[in-house]
Amino acid sequence: MAGSQAQWRPPRSCDIYCSELKHCKSLRNRFHEYYTYGRAPDCQQWKQDYQNCKDWEKNHSTQAKESLQESERKRLADQRKFTPVWELRQKPPSDWHLPLNQGKPQDP
Amino acid sequence: MAQSGAKAADLSREPPGEQKPSPSSRQNEEDLGYNLYPERGSRLKKSTVEESLFTFKHKCQLMLQFAMDTSPYAKLLLGAMKSSGCTVFKDRHFSCEDCDGTVSGGFDAATSQIVLCQNNIHQQAHMNRVVTHELIHAFDHCRAQVDWFSNYRHLACSEIRAANLSGDCSFINEFSRFNFGLRKHHQECVRGRALRSILAVRRVSREEAERVVDEVFDSCFNDHAPFGRIPHSKKDAKFAHRDFENRDRYYANL
Repeated sequence: MAGSQAQWRPPRSCDIYCSELKHCKSLRNRFHEYYTYGRAPDCQQWKQDYQNCKDWEKNHSTQAKESLQESERKRLADQRKFTPVWELRQKPPSDWHLPLNQGKPQDP
Repeated sequence: MAQSGAKAADLSREPPGEQKPSPSSRQNEEDLGYNLYPERGSRLKKSTVEESLFTFKHKCQLMLQFAMDTSPYAKLLLGAMKSSGCTVFKDRHFSCEDCDGTVSGGFDAATSQIVLCQNNIHQQAHMNRVVTHELIHAFDHCRAQVDWFSNYRHLACSEIRAANLSGDCSFINEFSRFNFGLRKHHQECVRGRALRSILAVRRVSREEAERVVDEVFDSCFNDHAPFGRIPHSKKDAKFAHRDFENRDRYYANL
């Protein structure tokens, strides 16, 4: 719909894509990637995202929008590519905010 | 208690913080690492003016406040915990205490408290790292059903994450410990520190501890919540914090 398209904006601002790209290519980051994974960092995706972001800013191109969305969804999916060891809670621990009770014996 | 890196024989200057399991009448406190935190049993002792003046407590509290205010690692974790319903209050959830040996800190799941070893933390950079490490344990406790006391896989997982994401295993820190490694050394360091943390707080054989760490390593090493990346430097952490602050926009436009 034209209305929702007009309201859409890239998940990150173009400045942020630019700074992530620069950071990715930096010597320090290359060192850290080698120190952690034994390889060179792949900065190509940040470059494409930055270009698509600028394209969207200039032309509001649908292709740029979709590419950006796809890229970020993939980035998120990559972060979740592991089988969790534990189950996530539905709500926080009930005793998190309880005051410290100095006299009470601790529960296991 | 789960500790990050306390070992009696460890000559490292910066033992990782450890977590403490809650004491139980059915279990020996030593089995759970509580012996390293002698003040945990003496809660009824009130702090005195003398204690504040002649112990390291005041310095510890100042450094803690500075860490919470300025470290992007800590700020991100505090923000993430607040979003998850576990707002952290300095006076309730942190405690500066004297500890045994070379322990730097711990997380006590029984009382939802982070212990900072005021007699072993003397530099701000160290405090920043210990606070980050323990907040990662607290964050895991907040968002997941972690069985600190009897599930070694859970304990190992949180220790792997804490060593991985807190800066414990940065090149500079490892270098200062005379651990000279380069290619993929970060992973070796994380593995090693997680192993030592488990051995310090649980009566388990080295082989068993190694087996557990190996079992969960791939999963837990790749779990970067809430950072979204491994923050190797303050800049990484600032970027991660920036992402966290902008998360509403991010998710709304996916």
